[in-house]
Amino acid sequence: MAVADVVRLLGVNPVYRKRVVHIETIEPEPPRYGTLAAPLPETIEAYLKESGIRLYTHQCDAINGIRDGRNVIITTPTASGKTLAFNIPVFEAMETDPEARALYLYPTKALANDQFATLEQMAKFTGIAAKPAIYDGDTPQSKRAAIREHARIVISNPYELHQVLSWHAKWSPFFSHLRYVVIDEAHRYRGVFGSHIALLIRRLLRLCRYYGSNPQFILSTATLKNPEEFALRLVGRQFDVIDGDGSPHGRKHFVLYNPFFNGIGERSTHEETKDLLISCVKGDLQTICFVGSRKMAELVTVWAREDARRSSALLADSISAYRAGYLPEERRMIERELKEGVIKGVVATNALELGIDIGSLDAVIISGYPGTMQSTRQQAGRAGRKGGDSLAVLVAHANPLDQYFMHHPARFFSRSHEHAVLDTENPYIVSGHMLCAAAELPLKEEVDREVFGSTFSPLLLDLASSNLIRNTSRGWVYSGRSRATDAVRLDGMSGESFRILCHGKLLETMDRAQAYREAHKGAIMLHQGETYVVNEMDLETHTVRVTKTDVDYYTQPLKEVNLAVKKTLEHRTVNGMACSYGDVEVTEQYTGYKIKRKDTVIGIEPLSLPPLVFRTKAFWFILPQPVEQRVRDACLDLAGGLHGAEHAIIAMMPLHVMCDRRDIGGLASPAYGENTEPTIFVYDGYEGGIGLAESAYEHLPELFSSAYELVDACSCEEGCPACIHSPKCGNDNVPLDKLATVMILKGLCKTENKGESIGSAVYPDTEISVHPAY
Amino acid sequence: MNAIHASNRIGTLWQQRMDALRDYEVIRDGNVFGTSFSNRFVYSSEHERAHQHLARLTEQYDGVAFETLFSGKEVSNEGGVSRALVSRHSLSLTHVDVERYRQDILTDLTLVRGIGDVTLRRLNARGYVTIADLVAHPKFRAEARGVLECLSRGDPAEIMGMIGSRHAKSHPFVLGTAGFFEPEDFVFLDIETLGLFSRPIILFGVGTIENRELVVHQYLLRDIDEEPAALIATLGHFARDRPALVTFNGKSFDYPYLQDRLTYYGMDTARRIPHFDVLHFSRRRWKDEFPSHCLGALEREILGINRKDDIPGQMVPEFYETYLRTGNCGPLVPIVEHNRQDVVSLAFLFYHLLGESYGCR
Repeated sequence: MAVADVVRLLGVNPVYRKRVVHIETIEPEPPRYGTLAAPLPETIEAYLKESGIRLYTHQCDAINGIRDGRNVIITTPTASGKTLAFNIPVFEAMETDPEARALYLYPTKALANDQFATLEQMAKFTGIAAKPAIYDGDTPQSKRAAIREHARIVISNPYELHQVLSWHAKWSPFFSHLRYVVIDEAHRYRGVFGSHIALLIRRLLRLCRYYGSNPQFILSTATLKNPEEFALRLVGRQFDVIDGDGSPHGRKHFVLYNPFFNGIGERSTHEETKDLLISCVKGDLQTICFVGSRKMAELVTVWAREDARRSSALLADSISAYRAGYLPEERRMIERELKEGVIKGVVATNALELGIDIGSLDAVIISGYPGTMQSTRQQAGRAGRKGGDSLAVLVAHANPLDQYFMHHPARFFSRSHEHAVLDTENPYIVSGHMLCAAAELPLKEEVDREVFGSTFSPLLLDLASSNLIRNTSRGWVYSGRSRATDAVRLDGMSGESFRILCHGKLLETMDRAQAYREAHKGAIMLHQGETYVVNEMDLETHTVRVTKTDVDYYTQPLKEVNLAVKKTLEHRTVNGMACSYGDVEVTEQYTGYKIKRKDTVIGIEPLSLPPLVFRTKAFWFILPQPVEQRVRDACLDLAGGLHGAEHAIIAMMPLHVMCDRRDIGGLASPAYGENTEPTIFVYDGYEGGIGLAESAYEHLPELFSSAYELVDACSCEEGCPACIHSPKCGNDNVPLDKLATVMILKGLCKTENKGESIGSAVYPDTEISVHPAY
Repeated sequence: MNAIHASNRIGTLWQQRMDALRDYEVIRDGNVFGTSFSNRFVYSSEHERAHQHLARLTEQYDGVAFETLFSGKEVSNEGGVSRALVSRHSLSLTHVDVERYRQDILTDLTLVRGIGDVTLRRLNARGYVTIADLVAHPKFRAEARGVLECLSRGDPAEIMGMIGSRHAKSHPFVLGTAGFFEPEDFVFLDIETLGLFSRPIILFGVGTIENRELVVHQYLLRDIDEEPAALIATLGHFARDRPALVTFNGKSFDYPYLQDRLTYYGMDTARRIPHFDVLHFSRRRWKDEFPSHCLGALEREILGINRKDDIPGQMVPEFYETYLRTGNCGPLVPIVEHNRQDVVSLAFLFYHLLGESYGCR
């Protein structure tokens, strides 16, 4: 059977037919080959010839650009040969300049290992002394000195680089001759993490300048809406965008599949996923299935095997899980068996979408929208080999975004790529990296102002007044009591971590906000599938003591949120409604927790924890008076409507800005402030803000329309997880009024007049986790 | 993009963050098990005592000027000015019996490359007793001659390297090369810092021998901006023809730290000089005798010195920071005392070990 047969089956089988919402067929594309401005060295030419490679247009464009000394960002799809496009010019430089060095940054160890193997093989074949080496947390102490000394291509990750920069004296030969910095999978560096990486790169460049080098940058990313702007923000330099994909593609069928087509969902998404996997494998399609968690990967595999065993043991054995936590040898074996065709189906976690070295398959099943179009395309891109037909299926979950796409397939396929947002001016992030930089070399105001941007000078004084840096005749010298690089955590978690101990053994660490939420006294905590109860939380020593337990209840914290507008930075009128953007201060207080069994509350216990206060950016708007009046006239619940509208708007945020809904917080009040106006706030859940609310503020009309379409198209009656229910609402999704929500959202999309109103209560939405941004 | 107005909120936040990230752990008294988690720990009673001490000091020295408390001399160089406190200590110098040392070395055939324990036994059986005998050996002739020439050139750095390449760096033969130096060549160094790496050195303690006395020069920073001057002043003590560095754990701490600070300020790093790390010799010498080989324990056991009002080295940053923040010089008193005693004990211990192995009375 071929891809076409399975596609036919999806259209004919009565179970499948109802669930298939849409099939989009993408026509095949022949290869386009390019030409280089100047011939390659013989060694590299021979390597390409031996490997049977002819360069595509985008590869030639990238190589030409890099050889011209330009910074390039390559944004062509998965499996289009991006790696080769930058390895060629780097190797050429290694051959012509015996001193030249290059730094390759990868976000994961698995990717670093794959690249290392590629580089070694290329070095071996061409005989070019590129001397690649991995330098990361796993590199043994005994090998480090030799790598610093001799390796010419150093493969590392941002976490390691963050530490390495303090030891720059030992790396001086490397930094002095650094010609290229390659940042692969650069789209991963967005949001808070991206803002940290942008400043880490500023620090790297500052040291390069000190050692007299000026490296060229090569970025490789998944497709983005704003590659040029993104690269400029990440590196601080101008880039050429290489985006015209010249690689060939076969015909692809992209299926949208909705288990909740009737609004109910008779079987779990994972069972439906398993059925599809079985059908594909039985249809002789090599298939990879992406699911959300490790546990699901294991479960779907077990179910699929059981099911397959009914028809044949051989078939059952040809299905395997593939997830993080497997040993490298196990993974290599699965990869090999896939290539040999012994394995027909693999179930992998989303997190591994990048790290799998399996080439291309016949079919991809994506269980649940992975959060961004960019990930969706990356995963779907795994299907389609050698120009043959391929199949990709998106299995919708019950959540709002998935359901939105199921109800609006055209929106899904016409969707442009996301904006990758990062903020290099966030003073909380900038100040942390200024401290690190001051510990690397004294900060000089005239020079370093350009490195760190407009917040530099005021921050200098601020840090100095806390004795963290001291002014000397040689510049500002770091004088903090702890290592700056220990206090600054790139993943945005604060350096302040709570240790969770079970009988003295460290289970995990959490930042303060997470600890308050999940590890307060009395909380039932899950860790790797085991249940623990928190006996003690010591705020002084940042220690949480837990013991293993076996209970049938769980706990849910109760939180009060207060929000104060500190400074309004911008105003605009959208559909006749006053909208603002500015600085706010959010105070969150955990007041207690509920003890629940299934959906029943069996107790409420108080908590006394100090409030968490953080400053961030928000947009907010006041509901127009006529809309409010209409809700009241219809005898609907205004508070429930605003709360629902806030949930819907937050649910649609990831559609417009590259983020996770957990990055965003909101607050809806029917009577906010002195004028007691019905107001909705949406804010970044990070200290200082990271540009999410800011970017959404630019797209308010589109955001409001999509939120309206979502709720309006949902077939439920009183609100459901697919529309206005929020997965982690601190108020237990109370109050909510779906009709009022629809009326309000409709009102936001239409031109109306603004008026006065009155009201009384505040309903915080507490689905976010707050990560102070340092 | 509009920046949030920076406020002193940010500095305060970082300050709190730093305070939570101590370089050491406070461990319940007697919790020996806890000490295995990290080698940087302070017992809680010690910690408590130090804090009481700190409070006493700030009260006692409130309003006392730096210059009154530390009557040193001003040193100025191209790095600026810094303050040097000088103290003199009597010390019985040990003279190395160089002849005996040479004899010992000459009978160690394993110094010749290619000779291990097995070969050594075979050679001894055949009557090869000294390296000089090997000059007649058909196979080891060239290597043996190399060793002899190295010894007769008498360059301590070279001899140290030669021995170090065949034996552990803590071997008494390595220590014995001290006999090739004049007492004035030794520079005893101990630094106090604001933390473990990439932070300023706030006190440089340098001991040298002048007229058979140990003179301790301490460069104490009145503020961080005096660090370059103090660095240069410290390097000035290495100006002799063939200086030798003596430290306690300096191979892993003081020396690389000094290098790191020099690079930080864009200064030339110190040239490679022979370095005797007394910690390594002590560990080898008293391996099975004492549980701890830290300087404090050794000076108690070997030199019979009991410190009064000493502060744990790990807490020096806290004390100095209190001085920086308040301008009250009290917290500097125990730091200076602690450092001076470290340099003195270091010199004593070095001569003690030397005397034991190759001293002549």
